[in-house]
Amino acid sequence: MASLSEEVLLVVKKVRQRKQDGTLYLMAERVAWGPEGKDRFTVSHLYADIRCQKISPDGKAKIQLQLVLHTGESTTFHFANESSALKDRDATKELLQQLLPKFKKKANKELEEKNRMLQEDPVLFQLYKDLVVSQVISAEEFWANRLGGINNTDPAVVNNKQEVGISGAFLADIRPQTDGCNGLRYNLTADIIESIFRTYPAVKQKYSENVPHNLTEKEFWTRFFQSHYFHRDRINTGTQDIFSECAKQDEKGLKSLVIQGVKNPLVDLLSLEDKTLDEGYGICTTLPSTSNANKTVKESSNSAIIKRFNHHSAMVLAAGSRKGEAPTDQASETSSTDGNSRDSDFFQPPVKKVKLQEAIEYEDLQRENRPKTVALNLKKSDRYAHGPVPLQSQHYTTSQDIINSVNYIRHEMMNYKPNLTEVRFYTAFLMITKSHNYQKETINRSEILHCIAVFLSCVVLVER
Amino acid sequence: MKLNIEGLLVYFPYDYIYPEQYSYMLELKRTLDAKGHGVLEMPSGTGKTISLLSLIVAYQRVSSAFPLDVTKLIYCSRTVPEIEKVVEELRKLMEFYAKETGERNNFLALALSSRKNLCIHPEVSSLRFGKEVDGKCHSLTASYIRAQRHVNPNQPVCRFYEEFDAVGRQVPLPAGIYNLDDLKDFGRRKGWCPYYLARYAILHANIVVYSYHYLLDPKIADLVSKELAKKSVVVFDEAHNIDNVCIDSMSVNITRRTLDRCQNNVDTLQNTIQKIKETDAAKLREEYRRLVEGLKEANVARETDIYLSNPVLPDEILKEAVPGTIRTAEHFVGFLRRFLEYLKSRLRVHHVVQESAPQFLKDIFDKVCIDRKPLRFCAERLQSLLRTLEIADIADFSAVTLISNFATLVSTYSQGFTIIIEPFEDRTPTIANPVLHFSCMDPSIAIKPVFQRFQSVIITSGTLSPLDIYPRILDFRPVTMASFTMTLNTFNVCLCLVALSSKFETREDFAVIRNYGNLLLEMSAVVPDGIVAFFTSYVYMENIVASWYEQGILENIQRNKLIFIETQDAAETSMALEKYQEACENGRGAILLSVARGKVSEGIDFVHHFGRAVIMFGVPYVYTQSRILKARLEYLRDQFQIRENDFLTFDAMRHAAQCVGRAIRGKTDYGLMIFADKRYARADKRGKLPRWIQEHINDGSLNLTVDETVQLSKHFLRQMAQPFRQEDQLGLSLLTLEQLESEEMLQKITQIAHQT
Repeated sequence: MASLSEEVLLVVKKVRQRKQDGTLYLMAERVAWGPEGKDRFTVSHLYADIRCQKISPDGKAKIQLQLVLHTGESTTFHFANESSALKDRDATKELLQQLLPKFKKKANKELEEKNRMLQEDPVLFQLYKDLVVSQVISAEEFWANRLGGINNTDPAVVNNKQEVGISGAFLADIRPQTDGCNGLRYNLTADIIESIFRTYPAVKQKYSENVPHNLTEKEFWTRFFQSHYFHRDRINTGTQDIFSECAKQDEKGLKSLVIQGVKNPLVDLLSLEDKTLDEGYGICTTLPSTSNANKTVKESSNSAIIKRFNHHSAMVLAAGSRKGEAPTDQASETSSTDGNSRDSDFFQPPVKKVKLQEAIEYEDLQRENRPKTVALNLKKSDRYAHGPVPLQSQHYTTSQDIINSVNYIRHEMMNYKPNLTEVRFYTAFLMITKSHNYQKETINRSEILHCIAVFLSCVVLVER
Repeated sequence: MKLNIEGLLVYFPYDYIYPEQYSYMLELKRTLDAKGHGVLEMPSGTGKTISLLSLIVAYQRVSSAFPLDVTKLIYCSRTVPEIEKVVEELRKLMEFYAKETGERNNFLALALSSRKNLCIHPEVSSLRFGKEVDGKCHSLTASYIRAQRHVNPNQPVCRFYEEFDAVGRQVPLPAGIYNLDDLKDFGRRKGWCPYYLARYAILHANIVVYSYHYLLDPKIADLVSKELAKKSVVVFDEAHNIDNVCIDSMSVNITRRTLDRCQNNVDTLQNTIQKIKETDAAKLREEYRRLVEGLKEANVARETDIYLSNPVLPDEILKEAVPGTIRTAEHFVGFLRRFLEYLKSRLRVHHVVQESAPQFLKDIFDKVCIDRKPLRFCAERLQSLLRTLEIADIADFSAVTLISNFATLVSTYSQGFTIIIEPFEDRTPTIANPVLHFSCMDPSIAIKPVFQRFQSVIITSGTLSPLDIYPRILDFRPVTMASFTMTLNTFNVCLCLVALSSKFETREDFAVIRNYGNLLLEMSAVVPDGIVAFFTSYVYMENIVASWYEQGILENIQRNKLIFIETQDAAETSMALEKYQEACENGRGAILLSVARGKVSEGIDFVHHFGRAVIMFGVPYVYTQSRILKARLEYLRDQFQIRENDFLTFDAMRHAAQCVGRAIRGKTDYGLMIFADKRYARADKRGKLPRWIQEHINDGSLNLTVDETVQLSKHFLRQMAQPFRQEDQLGLSLLTLEQLESEEMLQKITQIAHQT
């Protein structure tokens, strides 16, 4: 008995089920019961299948425990050991209490998955309503066709809902408005605040440090908009505000990004030149005055703007890809420590090789010119096929119609005699299938039923 | 496919061929047959490199039967990625050969780059800058350092070099294709220094791929490329800037800081000489003896010793004895001091001085009695002294090396150079910052040895128009000059000339800046993925960005795309570039603001979605107020009869063409090219654009308004978004072997090459 090799967690003797004495086993993955004197289980439920357990009220004479399954069936165990029935039952109950939630997750996953699919795909939901709710086919049959698809798809892809990125211009959306009496009003929405936090983790940190104990939320944002940090193009007048630290932190983050260097050797301007002229050689047509001393105020403010735009764009981009968990500063710092060495040949060649190969490829000169396609991932396929048409306007939908139609088909089929002159019926049917955009190569059973139903309702209409 | 090009069997590693590639090979073969030089212009993305390699390799294989023809190909490109790309294409070709012929051919091809890209010494290679790597390498491999090790075993040396020196030279590098990484791998496996291995291997390699400098900069060429066979074919790819490379390699700038550092160097030299005199006077006497015998003998130095070789010196000078006045070490140091004092006095000027080399020599003779002859030996003499004194870190002596190179150059060339001494920068007349520019005006000086020495020199690029100007400024006589166009089934380029002005006088105008902003804003809403915009100068871009920021234009652009901006810091720009590509990659789309003549415009390709539109704001004229440029223009006028305006326009147009050409990198690529300046419509500007750009200019694309441009772009982009099918191309812009061999097609192909 292979099943006995499972770990047995609890054995309770003298448990009756269907008026038979037997032994209840609680094992690692299932609960089982075998009648006395036989070495095989007549009842065996995986924990995952169990929805819940019920116990009989304390005062009752029979001490029972009922397991309700997801399928709706239930099994009742009667604890019959006179002396310790209550104790046995409680021990079983407690152990089950611990075990069931562990398995519940697993079981629910599938349910959740089904639920999610139905929610995300209105067409599917409609089909489900039409077919399952109206009992044309059973739920199992319905899912048997789909679940293959679920299990095949990468769970990471399925579970990861695409995150919405941040608009590059979210700061532009907070245009100040004059309030009429020498003041400025900034309109902040939760979305914008979220964007600011995601893009500038340093501000978020400041926020959590200061609000609410030092500043109120309103004060915080007022200061933010007044700060030199927000108006980066203005030259720092030396005022200390809470955001000057943020600016420094940004600077640091930018620097570490720069030091980290780029992975793609084709865009690395530093290693582009094979040999730079030594200092003192070469022609310098325009002498760039790099020293800060003789830079005018305007120039340095200009370069501050440029820096700011580069930084802002990089942060927006990073915020979109980092899924909000790790602030960039830390991320970049840690990665810069492991990738700091210039001779990091360790990871460089593959990237480099790939990029070089890409660069020298002439795809149109090669014969086997298979187009590289990206699978289109449509969230609302009906939207793609029909454009924004309300789903309800399609006239084939009520369940009752379908039931009638199916009955009608059954009726028709029973009296069916092949009549080759009526082939045009078939062509008409094909046209309907096409018109409903079932352009897939294989149409499964439920969809055929669906089409037949529509087709027949048309026929009925015509005949009338 | 196997091609028959006028009787030559050429293996071409693809199933199809572009008509222009065939035509290109035809012209190339004729050039090689005539053993002459050629200028060939073909747009990028038409497979120029592979055509070149296929033909020349085929030529080499045949000529192994006739020992008189081509033995070696020297392929010069500009940037490290370009070099590596060429080697990879070559590898593809060789794999094709191996597959078709079924035999392994004993072809050796390799890339050579600076120590920084080839060093495998754990400490040295971790240094960030090329100069540091060179210096450190020298301090580990110089001959006297290694000699010292015999006495003092603790002296650190480079084990890779030692190993290579011991055994590496006896066994030739096995046949194969070696890219930079392959060389490093090989070096690691064997424990040999890849850099010296590569430098040694280029002597017997069939194909060498390296950067221009190894051939054009006399300071390095003398060292690396001296012994390359005369029967080589030299190819300069991406050669549109070759004149500037030549000029750069021969020009010297001296500032007050250089002189101060030089002063320190001279003091150090003096002290070292003093010390050696007390301990080891015999060494100096030995050097003196050698110098009497002539420089050639003094120069039998080991290869590693020469860190910076002297600028070109005629051979006859090297055979002469070093003049007596600078033969002893002390005398030479004294000589240097005098020269240095003279230079210092020249930098104490209050007004701009411009003079020729002979004037300078006369003045120096009058003032401090320095003759021309010892000056000519200055660079060599200094090298000899540094060797004798066993100076470990030559990088410290860069200042005095610079001065002595200057001395040699100024006394060797009486023509083609000018000396300009500026007491201050034009922009800051109050701050004294004197600079002595010794500027080369004649690019032919640096490239002359190449033309003289090698059998065939091919100058090729995507933008060489007008073709006749290069032979004139480089002073050579080509046997073929041809420009090829891109054959297309549909136009994958949409060219718009927008009627905006950025004339120097009006370009700070508020309305002009706003119009530019509107153009960019409108385009950002229409064009998918990446847009690259080029400005004429960095300062101008900064100003425009600032006023766009004030006007809120940038904010509006941000609604459509992210904005990245080139900065003067290369590392920062690299990061911005990578982020830009990331943004294009993930579908967000981005705009890159960049500068013509900047690093991005010269070395970065924006293929496919990385550049769906290029906007050129203004005409990228060079800064015309510079005295050096004025001197050069004058020289061009006097020597080559090239009018100033012609040259300036030519220069501006080649940079504009480079910028817009960045976006189209192949026939499957498409993009918008927008010239946002009405001056482009004028005949003198249009005529100087490459033929493959001119072809796209029609009346409908001239003098457009912003709105018209947007309409045109929308239409174009919608067309381009349709699938690109090979069948449409076949027989027109893409040929099979059968199609190629048809009489009619051959007729057509002869028309592709536009002879001048």
